[in-house]
Amino acid sequence: MLPFPELRPTLWDGLVVLGVILLAAVILASAWSREEDGGALAVVVSADGEEIDRFPPGELPDSPRIYENNGYTLRLAASPASGGDGVRVEAADCPTQDCVHTGVISRGGQSIVCLPARIIIRLEGGPPPETAVDAVTG
Amino acid sequence: MRLTTRQLSLCALLTAMALGLGYLENFFPLSLAVPVPGVKLGLANIVTVFALYALGPGQALLILLSRCFLGSVFAGNLNALFFSLLGGISSMLVMAALSRLRKLSVYGVSVGGAAAHNCGQIAAAVLTLGSAAPVYYLPVLLGVSLFTGALTGLVAACLFRALSKTGLPGLR
Repeated sequence: MLPFPELRPTLWDGLVVLGVILLAAVILASAWSREEDGGALAVVVSADGEEIDRFPPGELPDSPRIYENNGYTLRLAASPASGGDGVRVEAADCPTQDCVHTGVISRGGQSIVCLPARIIIRLEGGPPPETAVDAVTG
Repeated sequence: MRLTTRQLSLCALLTAMALGLGYLENFFPLSLAVPVPGVKLGLANIVTVFALYALGPGQALLILLSRCFLGSVFAGNLNALFFSLLGGISSMLVMAALSRLRKLSVYGVSVGGAAAHNCGQIAAAVLTLGSAAPVYYLPVLLGVSLFTGALTGLVAACLFRALSKTGLPGLR
């Protein structure tokens, strides 16, 4: 058994909080530095770590795509409000529904993860917003 | 590890409480406010923090492992076992180490545990998916863990304060 703990927050607890914030900042910084800004925007779908589909997000409004893996089904659709390049999981039969709740992704580097289905939907490439030809502002 | 009947009963009781708290937290879906996989209150961590101080790391680990196994069996989802085990054990190791630092309060230990839990779960997701993509969720999860860790710390502190008056076998 350990000695009875200190029950009021101490200054040293601040160091733990600082450590957690620092770790989050380092991961965030490395994620930003890796964000791609070249080539056409593409939706990359992978299941169990293997790429199973790659297509431009503009194709989605005409043909929503359905993926099955690990016993679960996901329906990928375009998001009309995001100007055509947005992608979201419209419906899934997984118990957690985290992928549906993640909502729309529209920039390169963003991803939707469905853990039960072991599917990752990731946006790759895409020009920076200020040079984007089809960018919708406002 | 040899346990007295009293210790064994207390471990069983705390395991049941952790499972109950784990179920209760389904009624507070934090993931609706922060839509990231793995976001949750971590109420069961209150039991781990309490057991760590009141019973020691050995019994706290025993309770944690029982909770993870039984939780997965009850939920009928063995895939979740890997996630809760990796999260739980990471959290346990960090909290056991931090609790040795006498200058840290139960809040610091709890926040450290919550953050480590998220790191462990993301590691499980990376291993399961075979991709580093889940790592990008970690900054959000770590930010949330500051609040959830402080919350579980607060509850644990209230618990210790109350028990210092009433007393509990095995507690000072």
